[in-house]
Amino acid sequence: MTLSAKAFQRWLQSIAPDASTADVCRVSGIKRTTLAQQLVRGKVSVSTVVSISRAYNINPVAALAGFEPYSVLSGPQRPPTRSELVSQISTADLMRALLARPAMELARGASAPTLGPTPHATSVKNWVDAIDDGEVRHRVSATTGVAPQNYSAQLTANRLSPELAVATALAAGVGPAGGLVATGIITEEEAGWPPGARQAALDSLTDGELTALAGERLQVLGKVLRRQEQDQAQTEKIWENLG
Amino acid sequence: MIETLQWTTLAVCALVSVARIPSTLRGENRSLFGIFASMTLAILLSIKGPYLVIDQALGGINLANLLLRFVIFGVIFFMGIRISRGFSADSAHRHITGRTGMLVLLVVSVVMVALFFSMDTAGSSAGLQAISAKDARHFALVEYYGAAGRAYPAYVALALVPALVRAAQDRLPVLVRIGAALLALGGVAVALTLLFPVIPPELGQIEFIINYTAILCFVIGLALIWAARVVNGRGAARQKTSTET
Repeated sequence: MTLSAKAFQRWLQSIAPDASTADVCRVSGIKRTTLAQQLVRGKVSVSTVVSISRAYNINPVAALAGFEPYSVLSGPQRPPTRSELVSQISTADLMRALLARPAMELARGASAPTLGPTPHATSVKNWVDAIDDGEVRHRVSATTGVAPQNYSAQLTANRLSPELAVATALAAGVGPAGGLVATGIITEEEAGWPPGARQAALDSLTDGELTALAGERLQVLGKVLRRQEQDQAQTEKIWENLG
Repeated sequence: MIETLQWTTLAVCALVSVARIPSTLRGENRSLFGIFASMTLAILLSIKGPYLVIDQALGGINLANLLLRFVIFGVIFFMGIRISRGFSADSAHRHITGRTGMLVLLVVSVVMVALFFSMDTAGSSAGLQAISAKDARHFALVEYYGAAGRAYPAYVALALVPALVRAAQDRLPVLVRIGAALLALGGVAVALTLLFPVIPPELGQIEFIINYTAILCFVIGLALIWAARVVNGRGAARQKTSTET
């Protein structure tokens, strides 16, 4: 859901009283035409508020919490669960960590590599899977009115609108900012995740848990890759005959 | 209106044929050039002016009309093979090239030729309108002759439509999907020509519109699939150079 232009102007007044729209755009790196268009339509995007907050050294989560649709973000940040944290580690990082474990004979002398930043290629899907008790998707579509197939389509594309990300977190009973991290709108620090929390969660997995998890991820990745290869082969065949 | 549609279709088809010459010379899918060129010939034969000129050269007994029918059969047969192979429509491929398909083609052809020669076809006339007007017997014969000419294309089109509709909904490049959708629309239009006998004469224009819509859909659909390949090839080439530097 977008934010109302009126509320946005009021917020902008409060953080940068003397700045013109042009100044704000220059500092935050937003295109002037983009912002002008959003203001004319009366719908300001979440990423606009996040960019401006960062430019003025304000925590974007706190800034978003000031807007009515995102008021659930206010108050002390709930810490992320372990499965949420692990879901935000890329498959490649999981594999590297696994190879550095004693369970792998190659591990001798290998040091655990540092984790890549959030989000990763399947972070949204992995996050929802990590917090899903089996009914979350139904509850989200019931509260937001978004059709389940549209919701699934967004997950498959590793996308989720900020509104749906927050609604999903609420429906699953986890910290409301987690989805914004998974979708890459805010960083883990901005969401109040403790430094090194993902690494700690990863380290707390036993060799068995980590191996099983990496296996699941690989299986899903394998399916996706195979489907892409099939689509590609089908397209090649069409072009071979009709191109 | 009809004239504009006819000449536009001819221009589009001729343009695509010419555009295919370079890739044909490179040896890529030569039969597609044949399909486009034959389609251009078919459209030329279906327009009054060129028809009269060509038919006069062939002796003025409307052999050009018979030629037109067989050019259309050839186009639809080879297009059917290409499309069913490309879209992995095995059952459609069997229906076209298998025993049933060959039997349908043979029967329709024999009936059509027999009907043609049982008429007194002297006097060039586009669409055999003058022949049909001769008497009640000729009117009926021209109707049957026309129906036979529409039957085979409709048979092939109906065989192809399901696979094309599926392809249009598949996870394929968007240009390929639009191309498949247009081919499907063309197939439906060709199948609709079976209903021509029940269209009242006052609405005769509809027949022209359906015919030329079908051809335009086929030509543009095939051209889009080809364009998708060209676009894809360029994208891949650009990616390669950017990773090399």
